Amino acid sequence: MPATDVAAGTKMTTEQNSAIELLIGVTGDVNPVDLRSRAAAAVAQSSLPVRASGQVVVAWPGVEGAGVESGNGSAPTLIPYRPAATNEAGPWAQISAAQRGILTLAAEVKAAACIVIGPDLKALRADTVHALGAPVLDRQCDLVMPIYALERYEGLVNTAILMPLARALYCKRVQMPLALDFAASASYAERIGAKANRGLLWPAIAAAQETMQVGQVHLPVRHQTPMEGLDLTAVLTQIVGALFLEVERTAATWQRGRSAQPTPVWGQPAQMHESEETIEVRPMIESFQLASRNLDELWQLVLPPVTLLELRHLARCEPEQFKMADRIWARIVYDFALAHRLRSISRVHLMGALTPLYLGWVASYVQEASMMTAEQVVQRQEQLARAFEENKPYLVSRWRWPDRFNP
Amino acid sequence: MATGQVLVKKPGSTTDPLWYKDAIIYELHVRAFHDSNNDGIGDFPGLIEKLDYLQDLGVTCLWLLPFFPSPLRDDGYDISDYASVNPSYGTIEDFQRFLDEAHARGLQVMIELVINHTSDQHPWFQRARQAPAGSPERDFYVWSDTDQKYRDARIIFTDTEKSNWTWDPMAQQYYWHRFFSHQPDLNFDNPQVLEEVISVMRFWLDMGVDGLRLDAIPYLVERDGTNCENLAETHGLIRAIRKAMDDGYLGRMILAEANQWPEDVRPYFGDGDECHMAFHFPLMPRIYMALRQEDRLPITDIIAQTPDIPESCQWGIFLRNHDELTLEMVSEDERDYMYLAYSADPRMRINIGIRRRLAPLLDNNRRRIELLNSLLFSFPGTPILYYGDEIGMGDNIYLGDRNGVRTPMQWTADRNAGFSRANPARLYSPVIMDPLWGYEAINVEAQQSDASSLLNWMRNMIALRKLFQVFGRGSLKFLEAENRKVLAYLRELDGERVLCVANLSRFAQPVALDLSAYAGMIPVEMLGYVEFPAIGSQPYPLTLGPYGFLWLELQPGEEQVEVPQPVAAEERLHVKDERDWDNLLTGRGGKLVEKLLPEFMQRQRWFGGKSRSIVSAKVMEWALMEQGRTLLAWVRVEFSEGDPDVYLMPLGMSFGKEAEDLLRHAGNSVVTQVFSKDGAGVLHDGLMRDRACSALLAMIANGERVKSQTGEVRGEKSRFFEEIEGDPAEGRLPRRLTAEQSNSSIFFGDRMILKLFRRQQNGPNPDTEIGKFLTEKTEFRNVAPFGGSIEFVRHGGDNEGATLAMLQGVVQNEGDGWAWMLEELDRYYESSVAAELPELGLAAGATLREKLDEIPESAREHAGISMEAASTLGRRTAELHLALASDPDDPDFAPALLDGGDLVALQAELVQKATRAFDALKANLARLPDNAVEAAGLILSRRSTLLERFSRLTALGDAGARIRVHGDYHLGQVLRAKGDFVILDFEGEPAHTLTERRAEQSPLKDVAGMVRSFSYAAFSAMSHFMARRPADAQKLEPWARLWESSVTAEYLRAYRETMGDSRIVPQTIEGFEVMLRAFTLDKALYELTYELNHRPDWVRVPLNGILYLP
Repeated sequence: MPATDVAAGTKMTTEQNSAIELLIGVTGDVNPVDLRSRAAAAVAQSSLPVRASGQVVVAWPGVEGAGVESGNGSAPTLIPYRPAATNEAGPWAQISAAQRGILTLAAEVKAAACIVIGPDLKALRADTVHALGAPVLDRQCDLVMPIYALERYEGLVNTAILMPLARALYCKRVQMPLALDFAASASYAERIGAKANRGLLWPAIAAAQETMQVGQVHLPVRHQTPMEGLDLTAVLTQIVGALFLEVERTAATWQRGRSAQPTPVWGQPAQMHESEETIEVRPMIESFQLASRNLDELWQLVLPPVTLLELRHLARCEPEQFKMADRIWARIVYDFALAHRLRSISRVHLMGALTPLYLGWVASYVQEASMMTAEQVVQRQEQLARAFEENKPYLVSRWRWPDRFNP
Repeated sequence: MATGQVLVKKPGSTTDPLWYKDAIIYELHVRAFHDSNNDGIGDFPGLIEKLDYLQDLGVTCLWLLPFFPSPLRDDGYDISDYASVNPSYGTIEDFQRFLDEAHARGLQVMIELVINHTSDQHPWFQRARQAPAGSPERDFYVWSDTDQKYRDARIIFTDTEKSNWTWDPMAQQYYWHRFFSHQPDLNFDNPQVLEEVISVMRFWLDMGVDGLRLDAIPYLVERDGTNCENLAETHGLIRAIRKAMDDGYLGRMILAEANQWPEDVRPYFGDGDECHMAFHFPLMPRIYMALRQEDRLPITDIIAQTPDIPESCQWGIFLRNHDELTLEMVSEDERDYMYLAYSADPRMRINIGIRRRLAPLLDNNRRRIELLNSLLFSFPGTPILYYGDEIGMGDNIYLGDRNGVRTPMQWTADRNAGFSRANPARLYSPVIMDPLWGYEAINVEAQQSDASSLLNWMRNMIALRKLFQVFGRGSLKFLEAENRKVLAYLRELDGERVLCVANLSRFAQPVALDLSAYAGMIPVEMLGYVEFPAIGSQPYPLTLGPYGFLWLELQPGEEQVEVPQPVAAEERLHVKDERDWDNLLTGRGGKLVEKLLPEFMQRQRWFGGKSRSIVSAKVMEWALMEQGRTLLAWVRVEFSEGDPDVYLMPLGMSFGKEAEDLLRHAGNSVVTQVFSKDGAGVLHDGLMRDRACSALLAMIANGERVKSQTGEVRGEKSRFFEEIEGDPAEGRLPRRLTAEQSNSSIFFGDRMILKLFRRQQNGPNPDTEIGKFLTEKTEFRNVAPFGGSIEFVRHGGDNEGATLAMLQGVVQNEGDGWAWMLEELDRYYESSVAAELPELGLAAGATLREKLDEIPESAREHAGISMEAASTLGRRTAELHLALASDPDDPDFAPALLDGGDLVALQAELVQKATRAFDALKANLARLPDNAVEAAGLILSRRSTLLERFSRLTALGDAGARIRVHGDYHLGQVLRAKGDFVILDFEGEPAHTLTERRAEQSPLKDVAGMVRSFSYAAFSAMSHFMARRPADAQKLEPWARLWESSVTAEYLRAYRETMGDSRIVPQTIEGFEVMLRAFTLDKALYELTYELNHRPDWVRVPLNGILYLP
């Protein structure tokens, strides 16, 4: 169906149903029939105060010729959405484009709440739909982000960089700033969906920019990571590079905030999944040590002498004593964010130079975390996040006066 | 337009309609910027090539000087075709491409709309002079048969024009021109002229141009009997132009060029319906005047004369532009002064102004250039930079007209300054070539590669300004400091406040600013994000270097933390009023509070359990004070591992404005929201209310008592209370100390300080206990006088009580002993570094007696006052110990001789601690800094020798006595006051238990602490000194060791001398030495463990300390 027909269909839907309570959008190719029935079942069993038919709309990416299918009986209305245009490659860019498309559609149909669901539909269940949707429909917050149940060593890019960096800079204690599933209010969809596409969508950062309320829910869901199969440098380039871009774009805002604020959290944390798999840290340490010999010149363009000295000491450590201090890691990430902005070296090389440092951090973290209880792991992550917060003035001062002549 | 038809306005390149308020405008001439086709003239393709440079510089809007076809007799302001591009600069397609490229980089573009006049070559004028008089064609310009009309209009270009009328032989009439005679004025009394002008405007706006600078607008209309400036009819025309813009376009802007006084410019903003922006001409010369006169008055004076403008409008401010530094808007005296001050050579003057660039005007002084730019970037208005000034380009006063400031941009040190590859003779203007200002010395390429260049400085400043909307949109308030050489002003927007302070003088200047309205806030220096001391009620002192400036962001003193909201309405805390504690301590409310407390405690500075995971936090005991308005709560915190802690938390509830203020300025002190019938309020740290603080003081002053569940809280004053309090009429406003870590302190006026002990332990607090004992039972006065305390006494009267708070007199001082000693050491190194190191003549194993007797005279000379200070400190330490041992009848203070059993136990304890330290050193050997490895190896090899030191303890026949001691004695625990020392803080090692801290010990433990502190001071000051003078590193270390040994010897000599024949220390010097060496080694090993865990870079200090033990 041509785009204009979709728009007309959307308009019609809006007019016919002046009070759409919930829009559920899926960010990937799905079977629309299956989607519709699963969504109907999830909503019906969720005990959310909405009727699947009439008050609920399900959005999917659509295919050539797809149009609006009005709801009947218990089946909700099905509408194709148009992913936002993006020049970026990579799985997360596509997901973000879809998420923006869903938010835009939610704003067009004036849905009171919008639940964005990852393409594997794992979160399309009664309990998760309720967990995500209820705080928004109750008007307790504008954005609900998930806290997934992860394995001990899962999501380490998030643990090492995304979470502590986003939390320290944007002053919201959000556990997973880049998520496949989330829920948003009408005003969130209206304000964020209408914004021009600017790379990846960081839902909580966008909310912080607009001073909107953010909450979190524990979701007993485990997704396959969209970056599966990509090499580490590509992952860092696509995800961390995108976050660095966001940091550059929002510099005027994040420099105002001073301390991370807690966000309400609903639900109980799921038991940490314990994998049988053990992580071999020696190759990571060797990769770090090799880089400390070969990438020294590149690192010198990014890192100050005091950090380089620490890295040299670290490179000489025996594997069992290999420990990267949180303060050093936080400053490394901050220095790379700054170098990304200043283009001190090409961004491709920059992210390549970050990779062995990240491996060094992972090795250090894994050695520590392997001896910890699940609760201690959470505490350890909290400690890292606080190190990022404590060192935020370092980033602000470097950002404001990026003189190479620094300690 | 047909009825019902919707006119779609054409958007600009940015969505913010007020974009110009935050803009940084960069003025450039296409001709002068970059030549792409090597014809010697800059062009649009050349400009496109340089857009990345401009984007990188950070400017946001490009203002292009006229680029239209023109005979170029007035730098392009004599236009002969409004809707085309001068072929020398490219084509209209080139312009469109430039516009698109600029927009793609986020740059807006402003061009010139010169509507007062055209060139005499313009087809309109040629047609007019040939058309019959009175015809519509002739009426496009202002004609007269006589040159006597409009006689009251002044002549602007006095150097070249004698009249505003010129005779045209073809038309046989005079034509009117306010500028050059080749620039006839358009006749706006002819409606067709306005129509043509609007159609020209639409032509460029349709292409996407974002802004238009309306040239020379005060002169559009002429009327007899007036000076033909700023006439009402002129404003009517501008409104019509603006309306045409608003009707058809979005996000565009008009900038008025009206070189007039501010009150005359004000009407050009209309009611927000004329120009969006206007230049502030009179400000610019006054900035230069203020700088030269080193007096802020010219600036504050002109700003005071500047009227308010509509919300949507903005001033355009600048330091220099393509014209002369105009002196039209100054008095005659001021003009003469400016000529004398800034144009020594008459060739520098033109018309009524000075034709020089920024850097030459300021004698190429980098500090002055930075200062003036800092003013430009922080004054209210949109800053406009003139091309080349960002690299400090010079000028050429030997070129005619104002061409000396319009020379080619200096890109590189290559031929033609990288501007063009044409034959130099073909350039439209010679490049600057003299040795000082020439392109070989000053160019973009060189400055890009120089991190300290003006270009990089400008780029950083521009980026910084862009982070703060307050500069473009905020209000301005001058602060009237006494020193007029300092200009201080506050910019404010929506709660964001920036304090700017500038020193207009060539010498350093002090200033004290009245910032009492912002008491409690913390100024944060914006360039380096450096926190300054908090603002108090007294004038805030600052010192600025020559031409120095500071931008300080005033941030709330307390970190603002959003209070977590209960997740559902049924989980809200409801109370009847501010005294309804029942609802918060019991039942559902109690459970909610317990749920919130862990998060609250983690936010508090005084909470010592941050590294541990809290399992629960419960109110275990409470007492009410201040008629029930303040709750003293004891909160028991259970951790996932380790022992629980108990913290003292005064709590209060506030509503209305008090609650709002707390949320806004002290969010960190808020536990959560509470709701009463009067609305929402907050539950918060009770100490945030002045009345609660005063109630604590009153409790001490009046000996008040209040009940708790299991005991009683008692206030008790010392017999010196009244003396400490002084005259109550002086006022005792509470002021909270924000920098403290483990406790909370409140000043009452400048005489008393109340310290609330947050972490509660059973038993009397040693700080209170010793302070009280020394003040009330001894004559020792070198302590902060004890004023009283608040104690908790459990029912039953056993020793289960605790100290909640202690009141002391404030000691006026010159800083702590550590800071004072570091300053002295800095002087010592300065004087020593060039001198010859004196011969010590002491063997490595010299005895203490030999060391005490052999302080070289030259060491005394260099160490100067620090030797005297060490002597005083030795004496005071001994007096303290004598006083602490002075009451044999007080069971808590009675001294007891150390017997054999004590010494065996002491030896065992010290050996055990030492073994742990040696093991830690061994385990960390691989991680030590290179400069510490050798010393560490040596120490490990001497492990058994060192441990032997402790075994000598048990052989002592006389080891002195056990007495109460300071317990954590070092230079940071003494204050330098009136040439003497005052000893503070008897709390002991914070990590130890209360019993350990109250235990009696040998006084030599304190002495050893101070001896080690001297060692740290010597090393710390040496590191600091070496950072400035690395070349002297080798020479300094022996001097550091000499200072340390001399000061230590002097300290010990005075201590022993004062101690006399007291039995609390060993009577023989040998016994004294054995004890001292044991405690010093113990202390150094403690330091070693600490540094290994926390500061590996400092590990060298204790290592050296161990190697060179006294």
